[in-house]
Formats: sequence, structure tokens, C-alpha cells
Amino acid sequence: MSPESLPTGFTPASGEESPGLYLHIPFCKSRCAYCSFNSYACQSPPAAYLTALASQIRHWADQQWCRERTFATLFIGGGTPTIYGGNELAELVGLCLASFNFTEDAEITVEANPNTVTMPMLTSLRRTGVNRLSLGVQAFSDRLLGALGRSHTKGEACAAIKAARKGGFTNINLDLMYGLPGQRATDWRESLDQALAFGPEHLACYELTIEEETPFARLVEKGALTLPGEEEVLAMAALTHDLLAQAGLPRYEISNYAASGNQCRHNLNYWRNGSYLGLGAGAVSCLSGFRFSTVEEPEAFAALVQKGELPLSEGECLSLAARFRESVVMGLRMIEGISLARLQRRFGLTPAGYYGKMLEELQEQGLIVLASDSLRLTEAGLPVANQVLSRLV
Amino acid sequence: MENIRNFSIIAHIDHGKSTLADRFIQLCGMVTDRQFHDQLLDSMDIERERGITIKSQAICLPYRAKNGKDYILNLVDTPGHVDFSYEVSRALASCEGALLLVDAAQGIEAQTLANLYLAMENNLEVIPVINKIDLPSADPEGVALQIEEDLGLDADHIQFCSAKTGKGVDTVLEAVVNLLPPPTGDPEKPLEALIFDAFYDPFRGTIISCRLFEGRIKAGDTILFMSNNAAYRVEEVGFFRLTREPQKELSAGQVGYIIAGIKTITDTRPGDTITLKDRPCAKPLPGFQEIKQVVFSSIYPVSTDDYETLATAIEKLTLNDASLSFQKDSSTALGFGFRCGFLGLLHLEVVQERLEREFDLSLILTVPSVNYKIFLKDGTMKEVDNPAYYPDPTTIERIEEPFIKATILIPERYMGVVMTLCMERRGENTHHHYPMPGRIEFTCEVPLAEIIYDFYDRLKSVTQGYGSFDYDLLDYRESDLVKLDILVNGERVDALSQLVHRNNARARGLHACEKLKEEIPRQMFKIAIQAAVGGNIIGRETISALRKDVLAKCYGGDISRKRKLLEKQKAGKKRMKTVGNVEIPQSAFLAVLKSDQ
Repeated sequence: MSPESLPTGFTPASGEESPGLYLHIPFCKSRCAYCSFNSYACQSPPAAYLTALASQIRHWADQQWCRERTFATLFIGGGTPTIYGGNELAELVGLCLASFNFTEDAEITVEANPNTVTMPMLTSLRRTGVNRLSLGVQAFSDRLLGALGRSHTKGEACAAIKAARKGGFTNINLDLMYGLPGQRATDWRESLDQALAFGPEHLACYELTIEEETPFARLVEKGALTLPGEEEVLAMAALTHDLLAQAGLPRYEISNYAASGNQCRHNLNYWRNGSYLGLGAGAVSCLSGFRFSTVEEPEAFAALVQKGELPLSEGECLSLAARFRESVVMGLRMIEGISLARLQRRFGLTPAGYYGKMLEELQEQGLIVLASDSLRLTEAGLPVANQVLSRLV
Repeated sequence: MENIRNFSIIAHIDHGKSTLADRFIQLCGMVTDRQFHDQLLDSMDIERERGITIKSQAICLPYRAKNGKDYILNLVDTPGHVDFSYEVSRALASCEGALLLVDAAQGIEAQTLANLYLAMENNLEVIPVINKIDLPSADPEGVALQIEEDLGLDADHIQFCSAKTGKGVDTVLEAVVNLLPPPTGDPEKPLEALIFDAFYDPFRGTIISCRLFEGRIKAGDTILFMSNNAAYRVEEVGFFRLTREPQKELSAGQVGYIIAGIKTITDTRPGDTITLKDRPCAKPLPGFQEIKQVVFSSIYPVSTDDYETLATAIEKLTLNDASLSFQKDSSTALGFGFRCGFLGLLHLEVVQERLEREFDLSLILTVPSVNYKIFLKDGTMKEVDNPAYYPDPTTIERIEEPFIKATILIPERYMGVVMTLCMERRGENTHHHYPMPGRIEFTCEVPLAEIIYDFYDRLKSVTQGYGSFDYDLLDYRESDLVKLDILVNGERVDALSQLVHRNNARARGLHACEKLKEEIPRQMFKIAIQAAVGGNIIGRETISALRKDVLAKCYGGDISRKRKLLEKQKAGKKRMKTVGNVEIPQSAFLAVLKSDQ
């Protein structure tokens, strides 16, 4: 795609809210056996990638669409962003803050792997303005961490959390996984208890998904991976909701739990199908409904940027109705559901009017609730969300 | 006429007929290597994929023989499956000779014999050709001995070749020239032309493939079909090369095509005789039969919106396939559709595949049925090929069902398993003899209904592929039948009802329940699947409720991908048929037809 073919002069769509900025670091020390993300294993990440990323930040900050907007969140994800050093990351964050307009209270998150964070790095990040840390803990058991192919240990995870607190992070997320091979409901409970002992503001609890073309998928195909049965996984899910609610971290999205006021604003923007700019290899942007993705290989990305070309691979611009449906489907991931007022403002459509009888059927089946101001999945609808979403998409 | 040879290649399935035809075409310089692809004469995708020929095809090959003379060789390719034996017989009737192709490793098979008998009935000169001599397991001498001793064919005439490598193919062509007789016939006599197939061309109408026995034909003539007296004015005549080549006229002895603006293919029936309206021949050529469908099934679109598309598609398909019959049908479970008649189960599968592929339709076919004669207590008789019209059992005096004579050729060691299979399928009056050492020709009278229930697959399976099979319709015999119903959450799915022998009802019912349990995806509630005869439940399976179906993660980077996953799930639902509140996938309807291997 040439720079000319990209629409730059969007007039702000009605009802649009502050966008988010995402930077992707596509490197990890090693690949985990379940992971299908765009990431490449390497010991020391290339400096050329950061140069290219910085050049993209400057390029996009100068586009009219971005200049006209104030960003509310910055999220540096991966991969493992902390595979780079503290100074390099701090420089990247600093460049973003200097180049784009951000709100006063912008949420600035960096994702980290427990064995890549150091005290100086955390202090330096905190000092640059990073105010949220997301740690990929996954499990508090060396046995399960080993089974997942994670490069860190339980001890490193605990040390990292303590270090983050000490470094001044008051908004910490821990990523945890359940439904793991060899994991019992009691193991899961232990992981949750351990996590809660650190008093995190936010927890993301994902059920293990076997993604295509991962080592796990190959093992499953060979019958060499025994996953917990459906009943056991359901029990783990139920345990999660109960335990975390009691601990003051109610569920606010299918897999996310947070203390009041600590919901991840960057991710909420995705679920509200808002606008976001994603920079870096494989990152996806959605600017006022125009969505495009970046080439996935870091080297190709850096090479294209160096040549002065936009490193984009695919774009899509959905019809208004399709965007409406997509927004409904994304929004139903949130426990509070979708705001009808928001939908009305953005699309001039209401779910009842658009879906008609189908929505009534779903209500009769007890899967969704259409309240006066929102549409949401019920307790019964959440575990079988795809059954509902695949009818509304 | 001296330098024309009209011939067919006949063989058991997979003995290399299409490959040999390909070699002939190459050897006669009809195609450059660049144009060449395998199975040149099989133009339908489905023919190439399955490696079978469905339509008869003719090709006119110019050949300079070793004696220096130029010949015209008309190769009439024939369908290679038992379902199409009438079509084969009509194709053979248009030839003077046939190459009987036998696999050097497999030897003589059931269809080798069946096709040889057909060729003999049509008084063809037969040249035995032993193919695949390049195979490591080839035993050309042994097979030659079989041909000589068991089939009684002239050993001196046997040709050896490998169609795959091309070895010996030239001598086969020489044999065609030297051993097969040229056609006879008088161009000055009234026209007698035999239709052996017809195709539909959207621009030109029906293209008739025919063989002229007497007389001549040219554009402008008015032709008459003798079976129904339909008359048409000829627009074009010509030969089949790789494409159609128009000629001034066709005359006695030649094979070619006629285009006469015919829009209704049902007017052009294989086996019918074409003559000229103003100078007709005295009587039609022998052997014409009305096509008789033996297997019946209803075809429904998965989405009721597609009914119109299906109607158009079936009409278009019958333009090319006169052996398919159809009439409107309706079902409480499936809505509106068509009751179709087929020549056999393969024909049914071919039609289904073509409708789905060429017209992009998702279809549901009901359990195939044969045509039953139901004699009622009031003295009347009702023919029923659709379980939906099965009368109240209390009014039935007796039921008769069609029987066939199955001829199965197997290596001796499979005698036991084949016998068991035939007994399971209610076979009676079995006979066997040894047409050649180590091989058994096993005949058995079996209800046709048992054959259409995956008999052929089972035979292949129990004989590890060595068993071959052919059949002829015999007669109707009395039978003890019941109607087996399938209920899903208490609701009868009429499309899954079948008429079965009383003794098989329980086994079939249980099997249907098991298969449905495998094929119906879990839904948000428990599903009961029951098999019933009359009011009695004879089998039951339960599908537990779906409790978990959710994507754990969805963030900015994968909104599109996850949306597409949901859209795929949505499209999958569209391909399902809702019966009551249960969504049943298309595959479930098919699975019920297959027995376990």
C-alpha cells in the first residue's frame, strides 16, 4: 500500500471516543507451546526494530487523523516488550508521549515477562510515566509453567511482582491460565490464592485455547496432551468468578477481573470497538472504522520502514451494518454489556430494531438481557457466548 | 467406409480405460503435450476426481497405419459403472468392435465378464488387451491363459500394453485396424442413426452423439425420433475431435454429432433411432428401452430460500442427464424439494455432487428407497418409493420389493465373508462356480433395497478390494417390511424415515441413532434421538447439552479474525436444518445411510 492510498483526512465520526495507541514488540526469549501470537524467539532483540518503530511513531504522529485526536491509553505489548532494556523502553514511551497528544490521566501499560524485569528497569519505566504493569505469570507452579513451555519460574514471578510494587507500580495486572494439561481445580485454586496474596488491581484469567499450528495443537492431534475435562474446566471457571468477586476483583469481561476503577481502559476501548492505532510488526489499527494490519515479520517491517514505505499488509472497511454487528459482538464480551446509547450515537441503530425476532428468541432462551440502557449476556449466556455471538455477527 | 473403425474400450473399473484412451489420442497426434492432461475425455471435474467416466464420449482419431493407409478410428468411451449398463450397451451397439481391457495384475473381474457379455450380445468383434504389464505384480501370461481358457477368446489376438508408459499401445492401434471389421451400411438407404448419448450446450441446445447405420444426414434435413415422433430441423452435423468439427454431412458407418435446436433432452433418449421425416426407415434399430430409475430419494435445499435455485439446477442437470427423473415433493421437516429417481446409488451421488458443485447448493438427501408394490386389503395395488406415502399398516395385505441377481467375482479365500455379507443382506438362492482356478463367481438373489444400503462399500471392505460386483434386476417378491421412524426430541423427522425388513428394523434403528449422535453437534439443551416402529421405541441415544463455547481472548489485533470465526460458525448453522428446535447438519442425513465398516 502506498502512503497516498491511505485515507488521512477522516472527519471525526459522530460518537467517537478517545483512541488508544498500541506498540508491538514481536520478540520473546523462547516461544511457549500454546502461543500463536506474532512473536519470534531471540536472545537479544534487534536495535533496528526499535529504530523502525520510532520512525513509525513519528510518521503517524504527524498524520492529520492523529493530530486531531487526544489518545487516552498507550499499551506496549508483545511478545515480550521487556526483552529490550529499561532505557530503550523508556525512550520509546517518552517518544510516544512527546509525539502524540495524550490525556492528562492516560493509562500507560507495559507488558512484561517475570524473568525479564529488573529493579532499575521498573523504576525507569515508572519515572517515564508508565503507570500500569501487566505481568505474564500464567501459573504459580513450576510443574505447570514447565508444561506450558514458559521460560520463567514461580520464584521469578513472585520476585517480579514484589519488585514492581517496590518500584512504585500501584496498578498491576497478572495474566493467569486455567484448563492446563495436568491442572486440577485444586491447582487452579492455589494459583488464584497465590495471586490474590499479592493484592493485584487486575487479573486476566484465560482458559487455555489450543490454537492451530502451535506445538500444543500438534500434541493434541497425536493424542499426547491430556487436557482437563469439560466439567473440571467449568468448575475452574466458576471458582474464578466466585473467589475473585469475594476478593474485590469482580469480573468485567469474559476473562478479565479488576478492582473498582482499575479496569484496563486500553482493552475496554477494543471491546467498545473504538479507534486505535497499532504500530509495529503484525499490529492492527482501526481508525474510525478503517482497519488495517502491519506486515508480521519484524525484518520485513524494518526494511519497508527504512525504504520509506508504509509497512502495511491488509485493510478492511466494513459497511455500517457490519460495524454495528461487530460492535455488538465485541461489546457483549463485557459483563455490563453494550451501551445502547453509544450504539445509537455511533450507528443510529438499536439491537431490537436491527435483529428483531432473533433477539427476542435469545432473550426467551435466557441468554441475553435487553435492559433500557444496555444489552448484555446473562450468567447462562456467558459460558456459551459463541452460540449467541455467532447469531448476531 | 473401408477405412473406418468404430470401437469401444470395455473394462472393469480402474483397469485403465481412460488412460488407454488418452494414449490413443496422443499417438494419433490430436493434442500437443502442452494441451495434454489426464483423462482427456472425462470433462467433468467429478469424473476426473473419482477416476470414473459418467457420460459416454466419442472421439474421432485420424490414424496412419503401418500399411501406409489412413484410417478414421472412432473411439466411443463408455461409462464404467454398473449403474450405467444400459448406456454402455447403447454405446457398444454403435460399434463393430471392442477392446476388452484386462488389468495384468488383477485379471478378470465381474465387470470384465458383464461387459464382455454385453459386447457379445451386440455381436462385436472383441480384442483382448492386457494392460498394466509394467506393474511389478503383473502376470500377463496368467491373465492371457484366463482369457483364452475362461473367456474362450482367441489367444492369437491378445495384445499386451502399458497405457501408463505407452509400451505396446501402437500395436493395439494396429490390431484395431487389422482385426476389427469396417462398418457396413448403405448411404443411399433411408437414414438409420442410433443415439448413444446426448449433451446439453447452453448455446446450441442438445448435442446428440450418434452412429449412422444407413443413409446420410446433413444440415437442413428434418429428423424424426422414432420413439416419440418428435421432429426437428438439423442445424449442424460433424465429428468429435477434441472439439466439435462441423462437416457437410454424415453418412452410413460414421460416428458423429447432430445439432437440431433441441431444447428438451428428454426427447433424445439413448438407444432411440433417428431417421428422416420425409424418408423414414421401416423400423427402429433394436434394443431401445425406456430408462427405468431404480433408486429414489428426495432432494431438499438446506436453506428453504434455495428452493427456486434447486428447481432451476435440477432442470439444467436433466438437460444433460436424461436418466434422472424428478417431481415436486414436500416434507414437514425439510420443506419443499424434489423426489428424484436414479439409475443407482452412484448415479445418486454423482447428481448430488454436481448439484452442490455446479450450482453451489447445500442439499439434504433423504434415505434412498426402492420402488415397493403395496397390495392393499381392498384389492388395489399402490407403488411406493417414498416412505412418506407408506399406507396405514392395517390396510396392507402384502408388500413386494424388487430383487436383483448379484454376480460377485472374488478370489476363493473371500468366499466365507462374501457369503456372510449376502446372508446379512437377506440373500437367497446362492450359487457359486469356479470360472477359473482360484476364483469364484458367486451369484445371489438379493433385495435391491439391501444393495443400495452401502452394499458395494461393504463388499470392497470385506474382500480388501478384490471383490467385484455386477447386478441385473430380477423381479418383485413378497417381503415383510416395516416403516422405521426417527424422532429427534420427540419430533418425527420424516426425511429420515425408511422402509426396512422387520428383522433389520432394530439394528438399523440403533445404528441410525448412533450415527445421529455422532453427527449432531451438541446444542444448548439435551437432545433425545429415538428410533421407532409404529408406536414402539426400539432405540435411543442422548446428546448432552452444550455447556461451554466461548473465546477466551479477543483484543484489537484479532477482532477481524475472531469475527471471521464467528461468521464461519454462523455459516455452519445456515447449513443445518432445524427440526423442532434441533439443528441437524446435512452430514447427519448422509451418515444414516452408511453402515459401519
